[in-house]
Amino acid sequence: MRMPLHRKVLIYLAILLVLIFFLGPIYWFWALSLRSPTSAFASPPEFFFEPTLNAFIYTFVNPGVNRPQLVSSLIVASGATLLNLPFSVTAAYALSRFRMRAKQFLMMWYISLLMAPPIVFLIPYFILMSSLKLRGTYPSMIIIAQTITIPFSIWLLKSFFDEVPIDIEEAAQVDGASWHQALTRITLPLALPGIIVTSMFAFVFTWNNVIFPLVLSNQSTATLPVGTLNYFATTGATWNFIAATAVVTMLPPMIIFLVLGRYIVRGLTFGAVKG
Amino acid sequence: MAGRLSSRRNLPYLLVLPSILGLLALIIYPIGFSLVNSFRQWNLQTSPVPLGFVGFLNYQMVFQTTPFLDSLRNTLILSVAGTFIEFWFGMGIALLLATQLKGTNAVRALLIMPTTIAPIVAGFLFRYMYYEKGGLLTWLLTQVGFPVPPQGLLGSSTTALASIALADIWQWTPFFAIVLYAGLLSIPEDIKEAAIVDGATGLRMFAWITLPSISRTAIIVVMIRFMQLFNMFDLVLVLTRGGPGTASRTLSYNLYQEGLVNYNIGVAAAMTWLIVIIVTILINVYARVAFRGWEW
Amino acid sequence: MKEHRKAISRREFLKVAGLGIAAAGVCSVAQPALTQTALAAGVRPRAKAQTKEIRVLVVGDPFQFALEKVLDDFTSQTGIKVNLESLAYDALNARLVTSFVSQTPDADVVTVDAMWTGQYFDNRWIISLNDYIKADSDVNLKDFIPEVLYSLNLWRGNFVSLPIAAYGQGVMYRTDVFEKAGLEPPPTDPDKATGWTWDKYMEIVKQLQGMEMDDTKLYGTVIVGAQPVPIVHMYTQLAASRGVRWFKQFPEAPWDFEPTINSPENVESLKFYKALYDLSPAESINYVWFDAGTRFSQGDIGIFFWWTPYFYLVKNDGYMSGTPSKIIDKFAVALLPKLKDDAPQVISNGGWSLGIPSSSAKQDEGWQFIKWACSAETQKKMGLVKDYNYQFSDFARVSLYQDAELKAIYPYLDTQLKLLQQGNGKIVRPPMPIYSTLEAIYGLQINKVLSGAATAEDSLKETDMLFRNALTGNFMLPYKLESYDDTLENARKLIDSLAA
Repeated sequence: MRMPLHRKVLIYLAILLVLIFFLGPIYWFWALSLRSPTSAFASPPEFFFEPTLNAFIYTFVNPGVNRPQLVSSLIVASGATLLNLPFSVTAAYALSRFRMRAKQFLMMWYISLLMAPPIVFLIPYFILMSSLKLRGTYPSMIIIAQTITIPFSIWLLKSFFDEVPIDIEEAAQVDGASWHQALTRITLPLALPGIIVTSMFAFVFTWNNVIFPLVLSNQSTATLPVGTLNYFATTGATWNFIAATAVVTMLPPMIIFLVLGRYIVRGLTFGAVKG
Repeated sequence: MAGRLSSRRNLPYLLVLPSILGLLALIIYPIGFSLVNSFRQWNLQTSPVPLGFVGFLNYQMVFQTTPFLDSLRNTLILSVAGTFIEFWFGMGIALLLATQLKGTNAVRALLIMPTTIAPIVAGFLFRYMYYEKGGLLTWLLTQVGFPVPPQGLLGSSTTALASIALADIWQWTPFFAIVLYAGLLSIPEDIKEAAIVDGATGLRMFAWITLPSISRTAIIVVMIRFMQLFNMFDLVLVLTRGGPGTASRTLSYNLYQEGLVNYNIGVAAAMTWLIVIIVTILINVYARVAFRGWEW
Repeated sequence: MKEHRKAISRREFLKVAGLGIAAAGVCSVAQPALTQTALAAGVRPRAKAQTKEIRVLVVGDPFQFALEKVLDDFTSQTGIKVNLESLAYDALNARLVTSFVSQTPDADVVTVDAMWTGQYFDNRWIISLNDYIKADSDVNLKDFIPEVLYSLNLWRGNFVSLPIAAYGQGVMYRTDVFEKAGLEPPPTDPDKATGWTWDKYMEIVKQLQGMEMDDTKLYGTVIVGAQPVPIVHMYTQLAASRGVRWFKQFPEAPWDFEPTINSPENVESLKFYKALYDLSPAESINYVWFDAGTRFSQGDIGIFFWWTPYFYLVKNDGYMSGTPSKIIDKFAVALLPKLKDDAPQVISNGGWSLGIPSSSAKQDEGWQFIKWACSAETQKKMGLVKDYNYQFSDFARVSLYQDAELKAIYPYLDTQLKLLQQGNGKIVRPPMPIYSTLEAIYGLQINKVLSGAATAEDSLKETDMLFRNALTGNFMLPYKLESYDDTLENARKLIDSLAA
């Protein structure tokens, strides 16, 4: 069925408008990070300007105020992702492979944790981590992030395990392999792409999280989003620095999502929609 | 895919146990803490340690000293309106993409970018564009004759909440678009053809065939998004801090203010429980609908 | 804007490495400094701590910049090294509360906001300085402005901190604008201030509204409207000056926190504030502290009143930007107006003080630091720091207001002293234990009046009810605990007895 040309043109036009609406703001913020401070609030807005790397140099090179925060973000996000795997891989495997009476209840319990407002956990954690003398440390942030990463990964990983044909595993067991041999030699390698995809999502979620580090970090362990907020919370917002820091904060998730491509739908719906 | 490897009865439970214990360890403290302290007088402004039990006084104080009901109202408006607009806007884009014209895949990859951004960063992005003088959005709206309030879009009680919603709509409409697009693609061709044979076109086709076919996907994403909107905090923190007055204060922000700005632990604990009760009801209603007849 | 980069310490690095979290990916992007620190730590044995070191936590307010510049003096005088860390207002309070709740020693000297004094001392988080002051006559306690010590540092018969930056509130106006409009400059001496009333102030604001000056259309004034805290800082000054009081009896004993906030005076004041807002840029409803100062420095505001640090901050075109503002030579400061000529004036004294946490193991060294930082010598040096166009004149000592060298740089010092001497911080923003809660309520309610969501009458009625609920719920109403007569008179007596 061929589409008439005028209709095609209309659709392309609509798509173009949609793209401008959704990408324009990102472009505008990137532009801000390359502007001189005087051009930031020019009225009417300056669409053409002389770009400068000053904001990036100040924030990440010299004096590099936000460079330690980049490191903190990487530590917290990688740490949370790695810590979550032993918990979520085993649980997701069990939930995918075995008949369990409590399965539905468990799955519902996990997802309800994902849906719960993080802020309700925050005040007790603030007191708890303070009295354990852990507030301000990386472990405190990494551990607390598990309230999100573990349930999320279980849901998403289960959907990947579900797709590994059970017959292969059973065949191996018939050949005398024990269940854990079957798991480590056959299922895990087959599910590895799924584990990687899940890890990448868990990384992005922790990377983008601001509410836990906001309360649990201190000056030397603050993550990038918190650093961005600092420019704002003190005396007078320096928008170029906010933008430079924010652009660096945006990049890893964007790259990861470009790489993930066809898994995006599944990841964002916790595996509930296959995509 | 229900497994057939049930030779060891306890094995699956052993495998899920670490995650259950881990999560329980993480949530038991906050739950117990909130429960106990919601009945105790504990304000870090007056005492470093909890004082005596005070019955339901803290629960009473939630309503008597904090704008809890205003916050609840704002939260509900934001969640319902936000989800509704994002769903239909996303559906429109999904239908555009579903024409499968050349370049759709590239568009899809670019379109998701707003969703990848940290909400706090999205907040900054809009705060910059909302700026009263020289902000791009304010300027554009003024150009097209929109009556931008003189105190700025974020400073006026009539537009503050809507401005937060717009930032969220910008960030999450692509999520709906991409997921619904995936749903549209999965509708079998023969069903569509059969419908066409039956004379269904345009709107009817959409209402009778398309929508029912993707209803399950739709319900799940609506549930996820509604709850995320219900928990809205980051955007409020960056854009308005709940102001002006209480015009854009959400439940999460109200709790943050009471617990981590005023350090009124007892009242914050009581508020926590009120929110937990509301959220539990919502999740249960939703999950029952969304996962009805789900194959576990 | 300045951030203090803190390289990740070796201990933290090892802690992380020990957890197996420092994955290869992390190391490859870690900054060279981190690797170097780790390497150095591995090769060299840790240097033995010969010199003593104290940790000082300060808030990122203007005084911090000047303090940093003169910090080496302290080390060379005492041999004690100082590890100075500055934090934003919210972050500082969170950090202090954490350290106090966990009873973890964090810093040896901390900056205490005037408003936190009651809370910190009642919770035994900071110690009384009475004994230190008594033992050290060279503190020269009598040099301090009594109204400042009373407002900022006195709690339950103790001086629990000493002021490092004392603020009052006064008027700033454009001299060129006044000249063009043919207006008399507002008075700078209370003895010659007849007729300088809030009604007169309003008259001037109205006259300046819409005036053209150097191709700029002026706003009569600018206010601070952001809820909850910033608006309270500005509004309470206006209200106190117009006779509004928060409670039936405080700080005189016996304390009675029966709210008196819903009074005819306050209704009038709030309407007055709303009227000022109507003559301000509309967006000032979102303005926090520095926004109002920045706006004035950008040249389209005729007159406004605000914290005294803005007397020097507005010399720059942005907060601590170092770039001279357009109006650097075109503004002057003046007294705050009064309700009537025969009415008493009440200035909002506030600012930052230094205190010693009870958890610190180096309290003696901490005291040495406080004594040094609050001394006339150090404070003068801070005032003489040239950077950013001279950015420190928040002196708490009378002698510095008479210093010719400082007066040459900060010509408004006479006026500022007069303002501080009219101060009564305990009345303007009573530092009673649940002040933060009440401030949050109050700020929200008065902000609603500016936004038009409530009338002055309704909002104050609501405030009164919310105050009562919060006070009753926190067992402050009726107040049954011990009261202290923390009056100005008693502050003077305490000064005399400690200085004797």
